[in-house]
Amino acid sequence: MRMFGKAGKAAAVAAIAALALTACGRTDSGSSGGSSSGSEAFPKGSSIGVALPQKTSENWVLAEKLFNDGLTSAGFKPDVQFANGGVSEQQNQISAMITKGDKLIIVGAIDGAQLGTQLKQAKDAGATVIAYDRLLLNTSNVDYYVAYDNFKVGVLQGQALLDGLKAKKPSGPYNIELFAGSPDDANAKVFFDGAMSILQPKIDDGTLKVVSGQKSFEQAVTQGWKAENAQKRMDTLLAGTYTSASLDGVLSPNDTLARAILTSVKAAGKPLPVVTGQDSEVESVKSILAGEQYSTINKDTRKLVEHAITMVQDVQSGKTPEINDTKSYNNGVKTVPAYLLPPVIVTLANVKTAYVDDPILGPITK
Amino acid sequence: MNALKKLFGGNTRQFGMIFALVALVIFFQIFTSGRTLTPGNVINLFNGNSYILILAIGMVLVIIAGHIDLSVGSVAAFVGISVALAIRDWHLPWYVAVLFGLLLGALIGAWQGFWTAYVGIPAFIVTLAGMLLFRGFNQFVGKSNTVPVPEDFQYLGSGYLPEIGPKTGYNNLTILLGLIAVAFVIFSAIRSRRTAQALGAEVQEGWVMVTKLVLVNAAILYATYLFATGRPGTSFPIPGLILAVLVLIYGFISAKTVIGRHIYAVGGNRHAAELSGVQSKKVNFMVMMNMSILAGLAGMIFVGRSTASGPFDGVGWELDAIAAVFIGGAAVTGGVGTVIGSIVGGLVMAVLNNGLQLLGVGADLTQIIKGLVLLAAVAFDVYNKTQGKKSIIGMMMKNFGRSSEIAPDETTSTKEVISKEA
Amino acid sequence: MSTPITHQDPVLLEMRSITKEFPGVKALSDVSLRVKVGEIHAICGENGAGKSTLMKVLSGVYPYGSYDGDIVYQAEVQQFKDIRASEHAGIVIIHQELALIPELSIMENIFLGNEPVRRGIIDWAEARKRSIELLARVGLREDPDTPIKEIGVGKQQLVEIAKALNKSVKLLILDEPTAALNESDSQHLLDLILGLKGRGITSIIISHKLNEIEQIADEITIIRDGKSIETLNVVEDGVDEDRIIKGMVGRTLESRFPDHTPKIGEVFFEVKDWTVGHPQIQDRLVCKNSSFHVRRGEIVGFAGLMGAGRTELARSVFGHSYGRFISGQVYKDGKPITMRSVRQAIDAGLGYVTEDRKSLGLNLLDDIKTTTVSANLKKISRGIVVDTNKEFMVAEQYRKSLRTKTPSVEEGVSKLSGGNQQKVVLAKWMFTDPDLLILDEPTRGIDVGAKYEIYGIIQELANQGKGVIVISSELPELLGLSDRIYTIFEGSITGVLNKDEASQESLMKLMTSSRKAA
Repeated sequence: MRMFGKAGKAAAVAAIAALALTACGRTDSGSSGGSSSGSEAFPKGSSIGVALPQKTSENWVLAEKLFNDGLTSAGFKPDVQFANGGVSEQQNQISAMITKGDKLIIVGAIDGAQLGTQLKQAKDAGATVIAYDRLLLNTSNVDYYVAYDNFKVGVLQGQALLDGLKAKKPSGPYNIELFAGSPDDANAKVFFDGAMSILQPKIDDGTLKVVSGQKSFEQAVTQGWKAENAQKRMDTLLAGTYTSASLDGVLSPNDTLARAILTSVKAAGKPLPVVTGQDSEVESVKSILAGEQYSTINKDTRKLVEHAITMVQDVQSGKTPEINDTKSYNNGVKTVPAYLLPPVIVTLANVKTAYVDDPILGPITK
Repeated sequence: MNALKKLFGGNTRQFGMIFALVALVIFFQIFTSGRTLTPGNVINLFNGNSYILILAIGMVLVIIAGHIDLSVGSVAAFVGISVALAIRDWHLPWYVAVLFGLLLGALIGAWQGFWTAYVGIPAFIVTLAGMLLFRGFNQFVGKSNTVPVPEDFQYLGSGYLPEIGPKTGYNNLTILLGLIAVAFVIFSAIRSRRTAQALGAEVQEGWVMVTKLVLVNAAILYATYLFATGRPGTSFPIPGLILAVLVLIYGFISAKTVIGRHIYAVGGNRHAAELSGVQSKKVNFMVMMNMSILAGLAGMIFVGRSTASGPFDGVGWELDAIAAVFIGGAAVTGGVGTVIGSIVGGLVMAVLNNGLQLLGVGADLTQIIKGLVLLAAVAFDVYNKTQGKKSIIGMMMKNFGRSSEIAPDETTSTKEVISKEA
Repeated sequence: MSTPITHQDPVLLEMRSITKEFPGVKALSDVSLRVKVGEIHAICGENGAGKSTLMKVLSGVYPYGSYDGDIVYQAEVQQFKDIRASEHAGIVIIHQELALIPELSIMENIFLGNEPVRRGIIDWAEARKRSIELLARVGLREDPDTPIKEIGVGKQQLVEIAKALNKSVKLLILDEPTAALNESDSQHLLDLILGLKGRGITSIIISHKLNEIEQIADEITIIRDGKSIETLNVVEDGVDEDRIIKGMVGRTLESRFPDHTPKIGEVFFEVKDWTVGHPQIQDRLVCKNSSFHVRRGEIVGFAGLMGAGRTELARSVFGHSYGRFISGQVYKDGKPITMRSVRQAIDAGLGYVTEDRKSLGLNLLDDIKTTTVSANLKKISRGIVVDTNKEFMVAEQYRKSLRTKTPSVEEGVSKLSGGNQQKVVLAKWMFTDPDLLILDEPTRGIDVGAKYEIYGIIQELANQGKGVIVISSELPELLGLSDRIYTIFEGSITGVLNKDEASQESLMKLMTSSRKAA
């Protein structure tokens, strides 16, 4: 018995000694300075991480393909991941990307405020971080932001709704309802605010009437950007508020929700209202052609991905990427240098010209 | 072969789940070209899963007692947002905020425990209601916004042991912890062997114990080495430390204390427990309450790691925790399960997740693989039980806690010889 | 459904050299059984001897190929691959645990899995007609639509037989059919089996109640330790209970109760005017104004038919663990005490060994040592921490003193035979060191040799000055063991008899009538 105890101790001591003899201790490998100036050069052919949110809309699926193809043809190794399991999965994916040694990480965040720890890890490991489409909040560890001008998107949506209503019926008042995106997506509020910058004065002067009274962002949100949630809310609104009143228009933040709203209205057997959208999803473009959905926004994912990849190439070669906005995007800790692409409103009037270059939508709209 | 059998107590399959874990680690270590066992990745593994593992500790007790808790994700989210708001609006210091969070968890637990234990509504229903209720509360009080928490609170979810003492090239505190763990393992093995011998119970052969100790300690030392040699500024992570402390406490409670015994008794046969003087209502109440306290803690750790609390925190966590518990050998009918087993089960899932991410396998395929692993692990266990062998995991954990199994057919195994000296 | 005996051979079933092994255990070795057409054949043996395994081989639960040897039935070698195959051949087994669904009606249970179908739709009219016929044949006059849960265990047993008759049974196997029945229900069932015999149905009956076997069996095959020992012809061999016991244990038992000289002290436990309501049904009383007392060192018997209120009385006294307490007072050592929970009852020095070992008495997931200490964890704990060394020592001590047959106290209780399980339960209550131990059917489902040992333990407890209450359906057991016997009928205590004035007849009279004895 005693002998075995000794043997056990001896083994432990040996193991500790072995540990001590490996001597090296920690190394500072993997870090190439850790500065965030954006001037790091890393070898061409490095792995580039792209962390995307849930696979809930066509745009994200398209982005995956574009990133894979674009990065490969630019000579990089793409590492594109979707986080269908929510924020905690995205956190683990970004950590894994850092472990894999990705030199630059493009983040399309589920919740831009909940990735601070991972972004710090990325920075500590010397990786550059680009926020894609959605801003990363409350962290100093984000280098660039590339997106469509989201406030502008909202403005265009608000204006399109007004135009559509006027075209339908020359004078008000118009009955409308408001839908916003998911509250955990920082852009949702920006879209909504942009739209309300146009709509609020008209609500105040009585031209527009939100019959349900649900005018605030909190009341209008659609959890998780989920079509089913929007459809349920629309069902409820129609059943509760529009038994006799007619519904003239609906502000919808994107195409998926717009179609859900239209589905709900059709199911209730009501005349179709003017419904806005965003993203130029195939089904919605068809819907516009069929005269159902009123408008969408063309934020060509190709151009956005293209610019993101251009930024990757610039960072790789040590150049400072092109920036066109250094003031607007304060994330709570720093003002993130941004490159904003202009969105384009698409209605039946310009649908045939808007997608001429688009390989998928082009043929449909011809 | 015979030697191997002895080493694993007569049945090499006993160690199935630990083998599976080790095999998975080795598999990924090879196929990710050595990126699995790096300091950074091992730290990530603990940081990114500690909250699920903490939930699994509470969940295994709930499941042993014969219940289930579906509300843990929502409770975690509600506690998380409440604490974040309390810090922001009431300017609570972080330790007061943590206490506040634990207290809130206890209150929620008391609510759920009341309905489950004293009103007698099945926990499945109570916690299904709780799942909706506390998700709603989260989004109500947080107005569906994401609320950031200050840096000192983030330490809870993303902090590391500090650098103390001479510059050795290692993190000194981590090394110290590792050595304490080794000493503890050796000491307790020797002590339990001595008492077993003194009581005249069966003991393993000496070389078996030494080999086991060497293997276990080698694993601890290797882990220590990994944690101590990470990037400067990193070391053994705080969530990992919290987890380790909880595993020790709850492992001890479940195996060695009166309340632990009562939980197994109530889950195994409530009527028999009641007729032995166990207050089953109190046990059920405590188990449900404890779960919500741990859910609150998990929520706070997640908020610390995420640097903010969001409206969709904790979605799906209950399923991860429940999966860990069942992979870890617990029975749906209650009465069976161990804390350590659940942690191993949770680690199997975590390593799988992490390895597949390192390999760049998509989220869709990852879910498919995880689903199959869950089914396979439990099916394997069930198959072994119906074959009349002991539950792998149950046997494996014998030294750590308690678990048992039902004999397949009592008429086959009993042979009573009448001894009558009339 | 007359008896279609088409073969001249009087042997219906012959099992030849059946051997069945489980990993590490040889459950049956070279067992042979011959059952003649139209007879009642009893199989006797202690628990674990291999009776149930043999019947599982016969009924196809263990399929052909998983055992060695041949089953010859109706002059053909059979290869049953599952229980459906054996039922198809007319072999129906009725298990000890009834396979009826409580929520369904009698009719639905009879036809479960065998529904009369016309064009894919169940023909309930036909089912109803046939079930009335079948119920009449087993002597039941119940409405076929009555839910099973609303009829008693005795009648449920009869429904099982009706279900078997519906399957054109030729060989009926009954595993402990009367274990859960009271005397009159048992007698009714035995008469029915004899009646079926008259109509040519062959039965195999497994029972521990040797008096019943002696009464109805034509032949008896005795199995011991997985081997067939002998087959006796009841009439020709002049078989009586002692002869069967001799075969089962391998030697003669001189006495079925150990010698015991009671050392009775003064009254220390008294219950007065105890009245308890039914837990669910309002206005129904399960105990009515019952009063009794126990002296130190005394073994007190509670006699009563099933459902008379014996268990209800005991459990309601034991910390109100059954029913709605209405009135009554308990005195211990002359002082009134209250016990509103099981914990308080244990602290007050009471112990209660339940009649239903598996569902109320044991956690079958536990091992022996945890079970032994489970009612008195405080005694081996420091603060809230259980001292597992003490636990082991305590369990070892009881294993030795009660002679529990087990390789180790770390063995699971589910692996023990009924007798050894009961010893563990007794150890658990002895460890609480009670002043009064209530034993509800302490020898149910336990074989002869183990019964003798349990009796010895009970007497030893009395010798230590403890009071013991024994509740039993077996009057010979009460008469052999008790110093004094109370009789209970419909919730009331109808009399009390001293050992020397009690007999089966006098007890039975008091157990079946409300008139008070002098």
